[in-house]
Amino acid sequence: METVNISIFSLVLTFLLLAVPVFLSLIFNIGLIKPLVNSVARMSIQLILIGIFLKYLFLWNNTLVNLLWLLVMILVAVFSAVRGFSMKISKVLVPVFLSFSIATFIIILYLNIVVIRLDYVFDARYLVVLGGMLLGNSLRGNIVGIAAFYKNIKKDSKKFLCVLSLGASHYEALLPYLRESVQLALKPTLASMATMGIVALPGMMTGVILGGTSPEVAIKYQIMIMIAIVTSTIASVVLTILMTMRVCFTKYGMLKTEIFVGNSSS
Amino acid sequence: MIKLVNIDLAYNGVAVFENFSLEIKAGAKAVILGKSGLGKSSLFSLILGFTTPNNGMVFFDGSPVDKKSVWGIRKKIAYVDQDVSIADGNVSSWLDFVFHLKANGFAGFDRKKVKDFLDFFELDVNVLGKDTSELSGGEKQRLAIIVSILLERKVFFLDEVTSSLDKHLKRKVINYFIERNDWTIVAISHDPGWLDNPHVRVFDLEVGKWRQ
Repeated sequence: METVNISIFSLVLTFLLLAVPVFLSLIFNIGLIKPLVNSVARMSIQLILIGIFLKYLFLWNNTLVNLLWLLVMILVAVFSAVRGFSMKISKVLVPVFLSFSIATFIIILYLNIVVIRLDYVFDARYLVVLGGMLLGNSLRGNIVGIAAFYKNIKKDSKKFLCVLSLGASHYEALLPYLRESVQLALKPTLASMATMGIVALPGMMTGVILGGTSPEVAIKYQIMIMIAIVTSTIASVVLTILMTMRVCFTKYGMLKTEIFVGNSSS
Repeated sequence: MIKLVNIDLAYNGVAVFENFSLEIKAGAKAVILGKSGLGKSSLFSLILGFTTPNNGMVFFDGSPVDKKSVWGIRKKIAYVDQDVSIADGNVSSWLDFVFHLKANGFAGFDRKKVKDFLDFFELDVNVLGKDTSELSGGEKQRLAIIVSILLERKVFFLDEVTSSLDKHLKRKVINYFIERNDWTIVAISHDPGWLDNPHVRVFDLEVGKWRQ
């Protein structure tokens, strides 16, 4: 079963669909045209570039290059996560990077070695694609979870101090916030898992099926990837909290305000 | 017991204390008096290590408050803050949380004792089943006071803890604290019930001196 290729001309025809949102935006004055054009352009250019890039990445399939690319993906995820936390990158770069790397790398290795049993563990097709799936999905969870963790402690500052004065260790005082933020981070993933296959066919499965693989294989991969996503999300949220704690609190157990963007006073 | 020596403290460039000193002896019953913004609550924050002074030293029980000692010091002080910041949720689970903290060395809270104190401070036992958000200001204050007593600590920092109580209950709470000779009480209040009590010494923050 070969996938029907889309010619360049046909692809251009897809863009005609955009006439619908443009038309709607004009009628209802939604003001959507500029951001729409901007986002569509970015998406197209980025995908074209990554398409070319992946073509060569798969062609060379060199361990060092593959790992280097995974590293770049992790770094981009870290930067975009920290922006989502509203924190200063210089303060939390190292702990967030470590957390993301550990969570992503161990799970990919497990999948490649134990589950898929690849002969070549660092195969670009698996390393880069799985890495992207894990990072992309755990990124959302991390932004929600970590931002909530620090926001709640900031909001609850008096309660937090009270708990410390009641004799709580730093860990005991932070535990309720950790629980809450992990639950929050996992909620969308759990919800989408619970309806998967019925409400929505996940992107990966659609891609694999269109790519010519049988649904049975696609489903097995999808199950594997979902379990890996839940695991990497929970692991990276917990790790990020544990690792950023060291730099985000003073030795007295107080939250440092200077780690947040827009808070230059010490 | 508590000693602040030549403290300078400023928040965002605004000075709260300049070369401020204060000593409170063990067993003392001290009331801190002063207008808002004079740094009454900051006094507590300094000793509990929630704030660190720009200059000067804070001592508790003879040892300086620093990043190491502060964790032990917090376990010796029963602190009830002005807003009675107790967690959202069920009152019983709050008590469970507090009395399961390792440092306090209790294995959960003693129902019998809690009930006796609820009785004494004229709270209905059914507050235990309520959500903390359903409690009135006065109920919250009494609950926080009961928790502070049950922690079996000897030093009490009480920040306006009787403000929502009626006269009769105020007297009851104040007397309960003042009658314990070995307890060191530092209370922030402008209530005559505290200020006019003969066993209390009043520190006037405005002039930085004990009242004679």
